[in-house]
Amino acid sequence: MRYKVLTVDDSKTVRIIVKKAFKPYDCEIREAANGVEGLAVAAKESPDLILLDVTMPVMDGVEMLTKLKADPALKGIPVMMLTAEGGRDNVLKIAKIGVRDYLVKPFKEEVLIEKCGRIIDLKPLTEGPAKSKSIFDPADILVVEDKPAIVQQIQDGLKHTPWKIRGVVAQGEAIDACTRQPPDVVLVSLSLAEEAAFTLFRLLRTNVKTKYTPVFALVVKTETQQQQQAQTVGFSAIITKPIDTGELETKIAKAMNLDTSQRYYATEHECLVLRLPENCTAPVLAEAAHYLKPKFTEAVDAGHNKVVIDVHQLRSLHMGVIKLLFQAMQTCRELAMQFALVANAQIISECKGFEDTRGWTFYDSLDEAKANLGKTAPAPSASPLAAAAA
Amino acid sequence: MPALADINETLTRFYINRAVSDVFRTMLGREPTISQCFDRMPGDDAPSTIEHHRPQIVGTVGFFGEVNGLVYLHLDLTFARICTCHLLDMTEAALDEAGDDVINDAIGELTNMTVGSFKNGLCDSGYSCKLTIPSIVRGSNFVIEPISSATRQIYYFDCEEHRVIADILIQRDE
Repeated sequence: MRYKVLTVDDSKTVRIIVKKAFKPYDCEIREAANGVEGLAVAAKESPDLILLDVTMPVMDGVEMLTKLKADPALKGIPVMMLTAEGGRDNVLKIAKIGVRDYLVKPFKEEVLIEKCGRIIDLKPLTEGPAKSKSIFDPADILVVEDKPAIVQQIQDGLKHTPWKIRGVVAQGEAIDACTRQPPDVVLVSLSLAEEAAFTLFRLLRTNVKTKYTPVFALVVKTETQQQQQAQTVGFSAIITKPIDTGELETKIAKAMNLDTSQRYYATEHECLVLRLPENCTAPVLAEAAHYLKPKFTEAVDAGHNKVVIDVHQLRSLHMGVIKLLFQAMQTCRELAMQFALVANAQIISECKGFEDTRGWTFYDSLDEAKANLGKTAPAPSASPLAAAAA
Repeated sequence: MPALADINETLTRFYINRAVSDVFRTMLGREPTISQCFDRMPGDDAPSTIEHHRPQIVGTVGFFGEVNGLVYLHLDLTFARICTCHLLDMTEAALDEAGDDVINDAIGELTNMTVGSFKNGLCDSGYSCKLTIPSIVRGSNFVIEPISSATRQIYYFDCEEHRVIADILIQRDE
């Protein structure tokens, strides 16, 4: 839902500053230069929030507020005063008419947004249909953990990524860090003293800049009660200690909605390459399979009809890998793409041992496969596994 | 309400220093400091005048109620342009295209915030009053002279290489 915010101020400067402050958020700004205009725009647009100045020509903010609150159709619209009029008595008088908040000028844009974020659910604007962030893009991960060894372990485990891992030890430091530069993901240790992790979670959720930031709980594997509590509160994911950094990386990528296809798919010299890593665990295969159809279709759409399925890094063959390879070959046939397989001696030998894979033709290198694309007969497809993959 | 005589130079200096500092720090990221001040009581023979050697923009906002007065905020045009660009996130070229009204409005609003903050201090000291709408004076060669029953305090603020002058007139008739 796109929120509408009405700014009523005789100063164009203030209206521009307000627009500037709300620019990164998914909301529309309406403007009025005095109380009369403000009431008219409020009646026409039904804004979700009104920011109201006091001293204005034609009709001042106090009169507009009084009329607004007397109108049954408009009285429900929350009003926040944004004015240089800040004497105690005047504020109390205005507050009694009915305002949700009061911000005295001069003001910082962040404070305005924070206060407005308590009244309406401000969501950061996603930049149109731009391409999603990939696994190779930098990201900022904040780890709130009082044990330096854990922070070090996470930094070491994720050092192959372009992610910056920052460690802080206490709740206050975490809030400061989030205010300065909101991270992409926050990892919080549930073992922080005095349930600080839960307090921090609540604070992050009430701050407009971090309310949608994924927050993971770090907890010892056997602490099931704490894990349940974290789930109930609404932590985005639970990471158990000892930490499996591979799992952590997958969960972070998922939480950030990163495009991880580049881990497995690449276009090299007008040829799509599907490359499987040495250790194909179930999550890895699921991730590669998730992108298979879209990536193959995208290649055809771009005019590339050649595919190399490269498993030369693979350490051992198992049913999950065979199923994925069948699925890839089946997709090639459906899209009339030429394909070739590349593998190491170990995998080629293992393939000879299975009925379904015995007839597959492999090449030793990518270049050899590319050179022979189209010359090889497609692998047989009439096997139970091929049918299952299809 | 306390007597108007209680609004002495110390109180005025405190509130205007706080107001100018707050506004320039919050809205412009600058730290002005008072460098000079002049204090003129009603009936003093030699009125303080502010000499300008460069084009000026002067914002004015009044306050009325249990205490009445005016504050003039003087900025030289160069600084006024810098402030406007900062406030509105504009380039100098965009400001040239936008015209003088944009500068007038921005300086009017800076004055409004400064005088608002100043008079909120007076309100909280027991002198209830309200603000007027801002107005702007532009020029290179002009003098602002107070009526004889007003006190006048002029504060010069240094703001890096620029100067901001707050000229405060308070009506002394009880």
